[in-house]
Amino acid sequence: MGVIELDRLEVRLGGRIVLNGLTGELRGHAIGLLGPNGAGKSTLINTLLGFHEPASGGARVLGLDARGDRMRIRQSVGYMPENDSFIGNMSGVRFVRYMAELAGLPPNEALERAHESLFYVGLGEVRYRKINSYSLGMKQLVKLAQGLAHGPKLLILDEPTNGLDPTARQRMIQLIRGIRKEGSMRMLISSHLLRDIDETCDEVLILKKGSIAAISNIEEERRSHRNFIEMEMEGRTEAFAQKMQALGCECACFAGGRVKAVMPDAITARDLYVTAAECGVQIRRIQQRRDSLEDIFLRAMEYEGGRVEHVSLPA
Amino acid sequence: MSVFLHDYRPYNGRLTSLWRRPLVLARYGMAEAWSSKITVGLFVLALLPIVVELVIVYLANNPIARALILRGNPVLTINESFFLSVLEIQCWLALVLTSWIAPRLVSFDLSDNALCILLSHPISRFGYLLGKFLALIAALSFITWIPCLALFVYQSYVSAQPWALDHLQLAVGIFVGAALWIALLSLVGLAVSAWVKWRIIATGAIFAVVFVPAGVGGIANAILRTKWGLLLNVPVVMTEIWQRLLGAPAFMNPRLELPNGAMAAALVVATLMCVAVLNARIRAREVVRG
Repeated sequence: MGVIELDRLEVRLGGRIVLNGLTGELRGHAIGLLGPNGAGKSTLINTLLGFHEPASGGARVLGLDARGDRMRIRQSVGYMPENDSFIGNMSGVRFVRYMAELAGLPPNEALERAHESLFYVGLGEVRYRKINSYSLGMKQLVKLAQGLAHGPKLLILDEPTNGLDPTARQRMIQLIRGIRKEGSMRMLISSHLLRDIDETCDEVLILKKGSIAAISNIEEERRSHRNFIEMEMEGRTEAFAQKMQALGCECACFAGGRVKAVMPDAITARDLYVTAAECGVQIRRIQQRRDSLEDIFLRAMEYEGGRVEHVSLPA
Repeated sequence: MSVFLHDYRPYNGRLTSLWRRPLVLARYGMAEAWSSKITVGLFVLALLPIVVELVIVYLANNPIARALILRGNPVLTINESFFLSVLEIQCWLALVLTSWIAPRLVSFDLSDNALCILLSHPISRFGYLLGKFLALIAALSFITWIPCLALFVYQSYVSAQPWALDHLQLAVGIFVGAALWIALLSLVGLAVSAWVKWRIIATGAIFAVVFVPAGVGGIANAILRTKWGLLLNVPVVMTEIWQRLLGAPAFMNPRLELPNGAMAAALVVATLMCVAVLNARIRAREVVRG
């Protein structure tokens, strides 16, 4: 069973098509929802939560129909909205307890979980302060705490690092990683920041102008490109490439002495230097490719409508 | 997710049933409303007339007091008119309390944009409003039909003659009349608070919604030489409804009396308008058209 299944999902708001026939299945533990501003990320989340009615098609969250099983979906989901959303007049612990009770926890358990989740996100010391007095980072964290307090099966985070300074952002990313590592909860993380998704997610859905531009498993992409390297060389690179191919590498030469290679596990960086010495060429720069998500995103942004692409990197 | 371990643990305990979720909203709404000293002050103020009326009932039923203090003055006869005036006083004090409490129930949620987080939990928009409505109804009940019926019970207890059975219509009238009013007030209070968002302005707007149409109705009556403008006059409509429910003598010029159907229609229209406002404003997400 997929975490999220989309079946020709179309959503119209104010007479405008915002989501246009989305179809796909997401199974990852931490699913990234990427796209430029206005791509329909928040609309998709709102539709999954039952805030917007699909004009046609449908969506399923944890196997439940987004149209007919709204209450059961909301019971299983924790949601951290993008914008400020809290009751500023309440203390942190009271707010989180209130939300946990609304999610169905009995009052005593809700209070216990509220304390625990506030300590977990790092707001233990300020939990009795009114939320109005919190900094922006603390407000983001209290939203995360209320999303966690009732122990949901799916946690939806809409732009969790919005407006955070680097330290607070790192703290938020660490928390998300911690939750993912714990493993009992799936996550859907919406962001327009590639880095956030890259650091936290194992699967990504890229939206562009209300359509799916790409669905990709980042972990598999990372695995398949673990041995992909780029080099800048001085000398006769063709001879080097031929020798590397003889050793079992896929190798290609480009203008300006650039060489790209996919190395088998048996070949190490030392073998590169030895081969280069044998061929009389100098390796001036060597770089292991790590930016697979950026490649996926850029390729997806070039995509214009039509068939959904399951994007993979060029070899 | 133990406090000392600072790690996450899933929740596997029991969950409350869905129908209890509006009660959570009602409980937190009540707590929010009663956290203000002004609410407590208004509540005490609203119960003061009941204390005075309790003394009047005692005096009216005590032969020695009647002889010594009242000297047979018929002003203190406990009848339909007495209970009508009690109900009127309490119901108008309920308006004051509503204008203070209703904005506190809704405005905080709206001004801090909490609706999307509240409604992302397993509670519908109807459930949300029901919770707030229950909080308001409960608060208003304690100053309207509950003390009025307590007064009725006390009168039945201290009356020398069998009184309660002969005046059962009075008890039913008090309950129905007060219930109609507090339901209408709650809807108006929630709708205005949802529309205005600013608490202080919402407080004034609730009074305005009740009294401004009365002025407009008066102008319409004067210009068009009709009585139908009275349908916009909430105090007149409600007093007439209470008078008929309690079986008290008519206070209006017979020419200006309004038919029951017209008054019921006016209340239904007011209710529908409030529901429309709430339907438009109480949403997790606002959709910008165009």
